[in-house]
Amino acid sequence: MMIELCPSAEIAEGEIKRVDVEGLPAVAIARHEGALYVFPDRCPHADESLAEGWLEDGRVICGVHFAEFDLDTGEVHNPPVGCPNLSFFKCEDRDGTVFALLTGDNANV
Amino acid sequence: MCEGDCKGAAKGRPNMKPVYPKAGSYPDFAKLVDRENAQVDRRVFTDEEVYQAELRQIFARSWLFLAHESQIPNPGDFVRTSMGEDDVIVVRQRDGSVNAFLNSCPHRGNRVCMVDAGKKARGFICNYHGWSFGIDGALRGTDGKVYEKDETFEKAQIGLTPVAQVDSYKGLIFGTFDPDAVSLLEFFGDFTYYLDIMLDNDEGGTEFIGGAIKSEIDCNWKFPAENFVGDILHAFWTHQSGAQAILGGGVDLGKRYDELAFQASIYGHGIETNLDKVGNTRTLGYPDLVDYAFDLSEKAKDRLGDIRARAIGAVSSCTVFPNFSFLPGQNTFRVWHPRGPGKIELVVWTLVNKNAPDHIKEQYRKGVMMTFSPGGVFEMDDGENWEYSTRVNQGFVTRHQPLHYALGIESADMERDLPGHIHKGSLNDANQRLFYTRWAEFMEHDNWTDLQNGATAAPKKTATAAE
Repeated sequence: MMIELCPSAEIAEGEIKRVDVEGLPAVAIARHEGALYVFPDRCPHADESLAEGWLEDGRVICGVHFAEFDLDTGEVHNPPVGCPNLSFFKCEDRDGTVFALLTGDNANV
Repeated sequence: MCEGDCKGAAKGRPNMKPVYPKAGSYPDFAKLVDRENAQVDRRVFTDEEVYQAELRQIFARSWLFLAHESQIPNPGDFVRTSMGEDDVIVVRQRDGSVNAFLNSCPHRGNRVCMVDAGKKARGFICNYHGWSFGIDGALRGTDGKVYEKDETFEKAQIGLTPVAQVDSYKGLIFGTFDPDAVSLLEFFGDFTYYLDIMLDNDEGGTEFIGGAIKSEIDCNWKFPAENFVGDILHAFWTHQSGAQAILGGGVDLGKRYDELAFQASIYGHGIETNLDKVGNTRTLGYPDLVDYAFDLSEKAKDRLGDIRARAIGAVSSCTVFPNFSFLPGQNTFRVWHPRGPGKIELVVWTLVNKNAPDHIKEQYRKGVMMTFSPGGVFEMDDGENWEYSTRVNQGFVTRHQPLHYALGIESADMERDLPGHIHKGSLNDANQRLFYTRWAEFMEHDNWTDLQNGATAAPKKTATAAE
C-alpha cells in the first residue's frame, strides 16, 4: 500500500528531508534534477541519519563516514568497511503529495 | 565515570565541555628581562620551566596567526597549523566564516586530520575508532552500531575543542585559546597602521601563492622573532656575502637613513624600516620587481600617505608578537612555531597583491624561495647564527653570562608623529627591548587589563598619526 508522506513542495531541489511515519522507521526524501527519491533515513552501515547528510553529483552522502550512494542504483562508493548498498522505496508524486511503498521488498528505482 | 549499578543515571557522566586553561603569574621569570639595564637573562632561551610558562602565558593567550583567507576560499577548505605546540585545524564553514579546532579526538586524543591542507573536506574522521566530526567540529557519529545502542551516550555535547576566538584582519586570520582575550584589533593596538603597509597598499587586497615551505631550525623561537622585530643590524655582517652575490655590493640602507629610518613598537609588535622604497625588493634579484615596487610606492601614496608608501619595498622587517613575522619588499611571511626551548618549526609563505600581474607574482614566489627558504641565501645565514646563539647556552657557566640589548638606549623619538614607541634609526635594539618587555608582561600578568596597560602600550600622544 502506498503511504502518504508529505507535500512534494516541501522537498527543495538538491535537498534531503526526513519524514517520520507512524509505526515504521523514518524515511528520507531527496530531490535531484526534479525527481524524487525515498529511502530509509538510516545509513546501511551505522544507523546514522542520511537526511543529515547531503546530495552531491547525483549521490546521497552520509554525513558520518562519507559513504556515497548513487541515487539511481543505490550503489555505494567510498564505503567504510562493511557498508552495503542503499535501497530505495518506490515512490510517486500524486498531485503534489509524495507517496511511497514502504512495505514489502525495497526497489531500487 | 559510571561503574557498577548506576543504571545510566546522569550522575557520573563525563563533562565534555572545552577547557581553556587559565593564565598564572610568573614574576620571577618576568625579572629575567632587566629593563633598567637593557639585559636579557639567557635562561629565557634554554630553561624548560620558562618554556612551559611561555606555552601557558603567551601561546595559550595571544592572538596567533592561523592562515590567509586565500588559502581556504570555499566551505570545507582547511589548513592544519599550530598554536604553540597545539595542533589545530583551520576550516572554512558553510556560512563563509572560519573556525579552528584542536586536532585531537575527544575519545582517546588521536589526531583527526593527518594532512597539511585540503579542499572541500566533508569532515574529519578519527583513525582510531571512527569518531566522525563535521567541519563545524560537532560529533556526527561513531563507527558501527555500538554507541547508538548505549542510551547514556550524549553525542550532542561532544565535539572537537574550538579555538576560543577566531578573527581576521585584512586577509590574515588569527585565533586565541583565551575566551577572555581582548579583540584582535585591541591586541594589535595602533600597530595596524604598520600592518597596512603590506596588507592594504593596493585596492584588490592580498593572497598567499605557491603553498608553504616548512623547515626545522634548532633554535629558540625568540631569536628569529627578535631578529625580525628590529635587527637590520645583523644584515651588514651576516648577509654580506649573500648581498654581494645578488646586489654586487653590501646592504644599503638608503641615502636618507639619518632622516628617515625608524623603529616602531606597540604591545611588543615591532617594525623597523628605512623608507628607502625598494631596498628589500632589490635583494630578490629581479629588475621587474624593483620597477613594480617603485610604481606601487607612487600609486599607494593616496591610500597610505608618503611614509608608509615608501616602506612597501624598503629595507625593513616586522614581527607581530609573539611569533608571526614578515619582510616588506621581500614579501615572505612566516611563523616560528615553538617545539621545545631549543627547536622551531618554520613555515613560510609568499604574499602578493591579488591585482599584481602574474609574472610579478611568480617572481616574488621564486625570489622568496631563493632567499628565504631552507636553501635560500639569507635563511641559511640566519639559521646557523640562531642555532649557536641557542646551543652554546648548554654550557653551565655560559648561560650565567649577561647579554647586551642596549644599542640606542637614548634614541627615543618624541617628535615624530607616528603611532607607538618610535626610536630613531633602524640600527637599534629598541624594538627588541620592547619585545622582551612584552614577553615579561605576559609572564607577570594573569589578566588582560594589566596586559593592555603596561609599558609596551602605545604612549599617549596629543597628535594623531600623520597621513
